[in-house]
Amino acid sequence: MPCPNKGWPDNERSTLHDAKSHISHQSAAIVQAFAMESKSCNNFISYVELEEHEMQNLEFGILYIFLSYVQVQDISVKFNDSSTNYVQPLGSSRRNSLSENNIKLLPGESFVTKAQNVLMFSPVSDLNQGTSGILSVTNFKLTFVTTDETNGDDVTRQQNHLYGYMDTCLTNIEDIYVTVGDKKRKLLPGNIVPSKVKGIFIICKMWILEFTNVVVLFQIFTHRRWEKSVASIVTLCFPQQARPVIWLRLSVSISDKEAYYSSLDKAVRLFRDISDWHNELERTIRNEKFRKCWRLSTVNVDFKLCRSLSRYIIIPASITDSQLIDAAKRFQGNRPPIWSWSNARGAALVKMPELSPLVTNRIQENIMFENVRKSHPQKMPPVVLELNKGISVKLIAIAFSKFASLCSPENIRQFWLQDNNFYSLVENTKWLKYVSYCLQKAVEACEHLHLGLSVILQGNDATINQSFVRRPSTNLVFLEGAGTDLCCIVSSLVQLLLDPYFRTINGFQSLLQKEWVASGHPFCDRLGHICKRTSEKSPLLLLYLDCVWQLSQQFPAEFEFTETYLTTLWDAAHVSIFDTFIFNCEKDRVAAATDPDRPLVLRSVWDWREQFNEQDILLFDNPLYNPHEADSKEKHVIKPLYNVANLELWSQCYFRWIPTLEIHNGGQNHIELYARLLRNDVNQLKMSINGNCGSPIDKSNSCSVQMNIDSFYPFSNRKSGNIVSTPIMNSSILATKSLLEAQSLITATD
Amino acid sequence: MEKRSSAELLNIEQNNSKNASSDSLNSDSKSSSLNSKMGQESESWDKASHSKSFSSSSTSTDNNIVSALEARKDNQVKVCSVNVTVLSSQNLSVGETGPPLLNGERVQGIAHEVTYVCPYSGPVRGILSITNYKLHFRSVDRETPYVVEVPLGVVSRIEKVGGASSKGENSYGIEVFCKDMRNLRFAHKQENHSRRDVFEKLQQYSFPLSHKLPLFAFEYSETFAENGWNVYEPIAELKRMGVNNDMWKISKINDTYSICDSYPAVWAVPAAATDEDLQASAAFRSRGRLPVLSWIHPESQATITRCAQPLVGVGGKRSREDERYVQLIMDANAQSHKLFIMDARPMPNAVANKAKGGGYESEDAYQNAELVFLDIHNIHVMRESLRKLKVTFSNLLELCFPTIDEARWLSGIESTVWLKHIKYVLAGALRIVDKVENHKTSVLVHCSDGWDRTAQLTALAMLMLDPYYRTIKGFEVLIEKEWLSFGHKFQQRIGHGDEHHSDADRSPVFLQFMDCVWQISRQFPNAFEFNEHFLITILDHLYSCRFGTFLFSSERERVQEQVKHKTVSLWSYTNSQLSLYQNPLYWAAPNYQLVLMPIASMRYIKPWKSLYCRWNPSMRQQDPVYQRTRELLVLKEQLEKQLEEGRREQASRASRSMTSPAPPRLHSPVHS
Repeated sequence: MPCPNKGWPDNERSTLHDAKSHISHQSAAIVQAFAMESKSCNNFISYVELEEHEMQNLEFGILYIFLSYVQVQDISVKFNDSSTNYVQPLGSSRRNSLSENNIKLLPGESFVTKAQNVLMFSPVSDLNQGTSGILSVTNFKLTFVTTDETNGDDVTRQQNHLYGYMDTCLTNIEDIYVTVGDKKRKLLPGNIVPSKVKGIFIICKMWILEFTNVVVLFQIFTHRRWEKSVASIVTLCFPQQARPVIWLRLSVSISDKEAYYSSLDKAVRLFRDISDWHNELERTIRNEKFRKCWRLSTVNVDFKLCRSLSRYIIIPASITDSQLIDAAKRFQGNRPPIWSWSNARGAALVKMPELSPLVTNRIQENIMFENVRKSHPQKMPPVVLELNKGISVKLIAIAFSKFASLCSPENIRQFWLQDNNFYSLVENTKWLKYVSYCLQKAVEACEHLHLGLSVILQGNDATINQSFVRRPSTNLVFLEGAGTDLCCIVSSLVQLLLDPYFRTINGFQSLLQKEWVASGHPFCDRLGHICKRTSEKSPLLLLYLDCVWQLSQQFPAEFEFTETYLTTLWDAAHVSIFDTFIFNCEKDRVAAATDPDRPLVLRSVWDWREQFNEQDILLFDNPLYNPHEADSKEKHVIKPLYNVANLELWSQCYFRWIPTLEIHNGGQNHIELYARLLRNDVNQLKMSINGNCGSPIDKSNSCSVQMNIDSFYPFSNRKSGNIVSTPIMNSSILATKSLLEAQSLITATD
Repeated sequence: MEKRSSAELLNIEQNNSKNASSDSLNSDSKSSSLNSKMGQESESWDKASHSKSFSSSSTSTDNNIVSALEARKDNQVKVCSVNVTVLSSQNLSVGETGPPLLNGERVQGIAHEVTYVCPYSGPVRGILSITNYKLHFRSVDRETPYVVEVPLGVVSRIEKVGGASSKGENSYGIEVFCKDMRNLRFAHKQENHSRRDVFEKLQQYSFPLSHKLPLFAFEYSETFAENGWNVYEPIAELKRMGVNNDMWKISKINDTYSICDSYPAVWAVPAAATDEDLQASAAFRSRGRLPVLSWIHPESQATITRCAQPLVGVGGKRSREDERYVQLIMDANAQSHKLFIMDARPMPNAVANKAKGGGYESEDAYQNAELVFLDIHNIHVMRESLRKLKVTFSNLLELCFPTIDEARWLSGIESTVWLKHIKYVLAGALRIVDKVENHKTSVLVHCSDGWDRTAQLTALAMLMLDPYYRTIKGFEVLIEKEWLSFGHKFQQRIGHGDEHHSDADRSPVFLQFMDCVWQISRQFPNAFEFNEHFLITILDHLYSCRFGTFLFSSERERVQEQVKHKTVSLWSYTNSQLSLYQNPLYWAAPNYQLVLMPIASMRYIKPWKSLYCRWNPSMRQQDPVYQRTRELLVLKEQLEKQLEEGRREQASRASRSMTSPAPPRLHSPVHS
């Protein structure tokens, strides 16, 4: 491939032309390769056509996207080599120069482009004071390295191993605006980047850049290469169907170069194996007679029954597999009703999709209701809870986008303008209304379950069999479209309220695996990993996390995790390294993992050590947590208040990028800090009493806790002068058991 | 013994949630009765949710015992009322049948077969008693007695509802409007003027001053372990701040209240100021309220001084003496050659005041002074805002389970503008703190008369600057100093014992200050020694007239009326049961949260639901953070004792063998 070595600055047009022609030349082959590769994933096939179409105007970005394929495919090594000035693949010489710039690349990550002399403005600033530095784009992240930053020794915030504080994963970018003159214009894939771009304005999905930095404004000093950078950011961030491939490839290349040793806690159950389902059934239904009403079916082991369900499902024992196959066809998404959870009295929580719109009679639905009824110990008919009145995936998306813009004011003037009528602005977004809705439905379901009635969750606006709806209380069934959105939220909330196990960290993670990942919540669509014409993006997961946060505020001693954990979890949903939140269903995951050419190594997001060190992970632990004895389960049901008047705004998650709102040396997290130190004192006293005084604190087991924290710690970037920290014991030394002993001390009768 | 003390500690929270203040405002029975109602529908789910909170579960068992006892009493009451058809008021105070009485309290009237129309759980039948201190209602038809108690000082107005011919159930009776957001409705039988006696007694004892009767505080006597009148000693407090020093001196020029009758007898002024200077300045300030010291920074010597507006008038009068005196205040701070004059008012109001002879300092006349307007509105605007707030809350409260209005909760709150006023007061105080702390510049604060907004601003700024005022006793000193001694007109603003409920001088200025304190404590949960129960208790007795603390409008009046001799101080009551008011999260580490800079943004300013909505059981949120922290503190205390015992045991054994080293303590954040 004859490509001039001098590259862009001197010879832009011709290089571009060459590159383009090269690509068109090769595209057929690549397309073919892809089509083959993505056979298992329907999503990826259509991309090819789009790509060809887009190619005409999206010069640089397309170029890059192809390059990344090309690189992966090892088809055009030559091409890579010859265009080092434009795309810099990871090479040893480059790497050195990069590390001079303090840019850390993951194995398999490679540079796309960079722009020098960029000014970054902090969110909600007046654009009069920026940080200058270099803006770079890799195939994984957008990164900004400043030259005038003092050394980060006194860094106190959470530090991610995978990307830095000023970085954002490309999967996390929501919108890009360019300022041309005084105007701000949204850039979409396919747009030509205007020639006189003054700055870009990036909004992220995860609040890191979105509500925040996002609002990172880059302004350039020099124009050279600027357009190019912008263009590649745009295309990278908005691949039409393409990005998952990129990052899948990235994961592959990482795994190629560095073996992945999972340090995932075995107690987190992923619900990918049959044993997890089996154990869950045994754990929840202790009574063997009750348990026999349900059975674990392997009918979907090859995803023949339903592509969005997991391999193993639990269904009423009275349905045979062949009946189930027959029934599934009548429901949306070919999903039959499935069991989620049962309480001690045998009342079950069942998720059930709507009948598919083509089916006119309700016979199959009634048959399923009847089967759920038969699975009830007293053969009580189930209660059907519709999850559709005044709420939908689309409405949630709209509410969120309004709410997000409220949380990411462009400048300080807008901030104070919003402040004038902040309460009604919040009300207008309806976000809290939807939080309230989900909690209310969960409480309702709990009430039915408590009365010993099963509940079916179902949601869509299609008609529901009235005779079942009207009859009070029984097995609980959720109804909703394909049963993969609001059903996930409500059914996991119900289980959080009723089952203390799910309020532990491992339990909570297992719950997400069971109710979201395994039961086919379309993460890829909802989180918008792929840019589609018809957007199905909607932050259902965030809505759920917000509900959980509300619970943790009302019951601070009931949850093993902190709000920092929840915020970090939301952030992690946008890190493309992990497989947990990027697939629409288990089938897609399996397909990626069993790709004959380059199987994807699955990394679970629950393997927190991949991202954080012990100190940061310590902050996930709620020091106020008060675990209960396992046997007195029924007692530890929680019943939240769900009126909007009793809800709060999750300021850590939503406000953390607004520096004006950072309370210096204050904030609610000081409660946690104080309790952490208090708990540490208690633990040390206990160790002393137990005679462990010989080795007070093993160095490997101690963490240090920072004392003078601001309100958005550990997410803020504020340098608060001297850092005062104190070592504390790693809480994992002291198992839950010893805390229980402590509890008995308090409640002792004499 | 030890066990018991810890158990008591654990019970504290319970008491907190039980009564807003343990004697006077019994609200708990409401919630328990509601709960019991709900319990019938879904017993164990309800129980399960209650076992969550230490307090509510154990409270309900308390209630059951009490209720059994009280139910028996009720039967006796019924028997009595059948036998003695007409009760004369003289006989009423006798016997165990009436409400629990304080020392000095006497029952004045009783009405039987009254129905309390509870907005949450429906009508309750029972007995209504009126004493010279409180209104007391107790149910007769419920298993758990349902008790409503309101000190009559809290009553703002009383109205008769319906007439002898009104139709409909519970349409005839009395409605009582309270200063603490409650409206109580009692229905009487429509025969024999059954409400007349109670209504008259209510009028008399709710508004004793309008009926030539003494305030209850002058009849009440009780001896507490602490004497609250000793909490604040002006000279001791000035000495604590380092006065006298080179720059500031204590002046007793006002010891007969001749210079300024609304100022205290003792204050601090620049050491260089002569008595003539003070007199001249007083002559140029509204109501003689000249600039005097509120607070002095222990390091920079930057000061906060307070005063009233200058008497500039339309003609733009000047006073060289006042200008010189202000210059002396500036000069007393060597760190800065500037002085900020913070005028709390919006500028148009300050200008308008010129027409009434007041005004503001011109920067031409006061060299090196910079004038800042803080945009805080006057007492009338605040009163209106609170009225709207009450309407908003009661709209929500009156609905048993808020449904329709619930959707408009946020905009409803916003439309009252109450929180916006809170924001401006906080923002104003923050500007003062910023100048004093970060710029080492002295600040002179005034509004029109310098006893409403000025008191809010100086007291809040001092609270943010000085950790001492965040202790329980320090906070009492702050109220005594900035509010009581500097003549906030409590008598007019609250209207103690006065029936003119729509008097234009009433305004929730002090309530607004307390709300601001609460807002700050939300942002700095570890910075205050007291909990919100302390704030609520103070507010309850701001109205109750049981204690002398908030009576009258100035130090001069209190001296004249011998309040300290004839009444009990609220601080005697609070300081005798400090553990009730202690914040378990309080963390008094040196240099930790020395100066507080809260964020005055609506994103953080919240409605104080545990005050304004406390009567609504559906709004009640538990605060298990405090409970849980307290448990940990108790646990730590127990372990420490256990360890200590173990060590003693070891030491006795070690007399024979070698001792092992004591376990190291890495960090102990907690005051034990």
